Amino acid sequence: MLSKCIFSVKAPAGPPVEIIRHTFSPSQSAKPTQRVSLVTGLHGDELEGLYICHRLIETLKKLEEQNAVKGEVHIYPAVNPQALETGTRLWPFFSTDINRTFGEKNTRSLVTEASRTLLEDLKSNSDLVVDFHASNLHLMELPQIRIIKNFEKKLVPLAKLCNVDLIWVHPHAEIFESTLGYNLNQAKVPTLVIESGICLRIHKNYCEQIVLGILNLLHQTEAVDCGEFLAEVAPARIVQPDQVTMVQAQNAGLFVKQTEVGQILKEGEKIGDLIGPDQMPEDIRSPCSGLLFTLREHPLTGKGAPLARIATSIEP
Amino acid sequence: MKEKVLSIPTPFGAPLVLYKNTWGKSDHSETLAIVSGLHGDHLNGMHLSSRLSQFLDNIVEGSDANYTLNGQVIIFPVVNLNAIQSGSRLWPYDGMDMDLAFPGNPAGETTEALASAVLKHTVNADWGIILQSALPHYEDAPHIQTLKMDGSIKKLARDLKIETVRKLQPSPQVNLSSHWQDMVSVTLSSGSPRTLNLPQCESLFQGIVNFMQAEGILKDRRKTKSDKNFPTRFYQPENEVTVLADTAGMFLHEVKVGTLIQEGQTIGEIRDLYSGKRLEEITAPADGFLVTLRQYPIVYEKESLATILTTKKSWWDIF
Repeated sequence: MLSKCIFSVKAPAGPPVEIIRHTFSPSQSAKPTQRVSLVTGLHGDELEGLYICHRLIETLKKLEEQNAVKGEVHIYPAVNPQALETGTRLWPFFSTDINRTFGEKNTRSLVTEASRTLLEDLKSNSDLVVDFHASNLHLMELPQIRIIKNFEKKLVPLAKLCNVDLIWVHPHAEIFESTLGYNLNQAKVPTLVIESGICLRIHKNYCEQIVLGILNLLHQTEAVDCGEFLAEVAPARIVQPDQVTMVQAQNAGLFVKQTEVGQILKEGEKIGDLIGPDQMPEDIRSPCSGLLFTLREHPLTGKGAPLARIATSIEP
Repeated sequence: MKEKVLSIPTPFGAPLVLYKNTWGKSDHSETLAIVSGLHGDHLNGMHLSSRLSQFLDNIVEGSDANYTLNGQVIIFPVVNLNAIQSGSRLWPYDGMDMDLAFPGNPAGETTEALASAVLKHTVNADWGIILQSALPHYEDAPHIQTLKMDGSIKKLARDLKIETVRKLQPSPQVNLSSHWQDMVSVTLSSGSPRTLNLPQCESLFQGIVNFMQAEGILKDRRKTKSDKNFPTRFYQPENEVTVLADTAGMFLHEVKVGTLIQEGQTIGEIRDLYSGKRLEEITAPADGFLVTLRQYPIVYEKESLATILTTKKSWWDIF
């Protein structure tokens, strides 16, 4: 494994701010067949990706020793280092969401310098990128890949290899245009965005599921030769926009969940209680049958806040 | 006048209420929309909106006999109510930049619902002004930011009596300004976050009054004419020079934002936090107008310290 610092700035006090890329490549001088990059930590409170990278690095070191790395695998395990060290979603010194700065040209700041450098490094070194995210503080997510409709044809076959429970094809919205995933896909570098778990926690089972999926992706794209030790990955449910039902809070209050993500719900089944300002609990029930793939974890709930997402297409 | 636009229930207390101030009827000739308080720490804009509100109240109530209102004015003085109550730029609960929440969603969460309501009530105006302060840690000289630079924008800038107009590059970040492109709209940026600059607000207030007169929204019965010969400079994105820090430490500036500086002139210096030694002298790489200057002194390497609008390719308005 070779490690390279792709971005470094001196800090006024303390260690420099650095973005590191670890690279696994074939030992022979043969030209690598496939270049795959794995990115995690754009949001500093999303820790599952760090653990997934740790597990992948362990395995890739062994594969490298066995000359089983056929292409190049780049791992960027902590691309927003100050936010990760602070445990905050945003880059702390500037309160900026780095995943809303890709492609931005008007504001020259440390955050835009970091996002520009990362984007260019990924474009130069990747034929395929996976960007790992956990959810925010509010929602728990079943392991899933989200794909903007325009990129469906190219990305769905790749997403199927990743051992996620769900592939959610959703319409384009302007808000995605400053994200890493959108900018890379626009630049013709196929990029999968994985969403799993919740921030500030590590859901070990989900992580192991995704580690297996990424190894399968690397194997199937011939970046590595994993031999026969891989378990078979589960087929994902592919969900189109009209097959997702969102349950939103009709009032503000405290949401107390009564189920878990991954459940197959029946229409009318109870999801939880919403205790409003009048102290009266409101039954929150599923408006349809399907797979519960998003569930509110943060009890404090505003009107309009998502409580659950249900995939009505339950067959993989 | 003050009108409730949206009421959002909160988990424990009274509902959150978004208000707008309106003067005049929509069937009048021209409507001006002004929005401030998209960020909870942009105080200049909020003060300016309240100053304008008081001025327009006096006209409509008849206590200022010098003016007649002929058009309609809509002002949202405060939008990001939760951030203002938290004393912060963003609302800590969702960490969302309110300006990036547009177009919003009427059925969405608080920030999205607020954004949707503001857009709905302003998008049909003829003129739009967004009032903001500089980004965190910086101070802006009063200037206009615009995505297009046509004759209408040039006239608007002149009528507002703003010397500096800066065209921005198209951005993937979609904000309120992006959704106001069907009207003649600008962003008026001045001062620093968390800071109130009363003389600056007064100057901007006079500019907005002058603009309302020039467009016939407001009539001055004293027969005074609006100032139409105000000199204005227009800058394209390629005219901008950003001065970056080559090292980290404490930045001490020697110049004032809003002044003309010359190539080679000292902007400031960066000192080491441990030894106090000077690590770097910061000099201007080009002649120009200092539109943005770093105020918060602790800086990282590669951070922007100053933005200079160079005069080489700019042109003075000759109308």
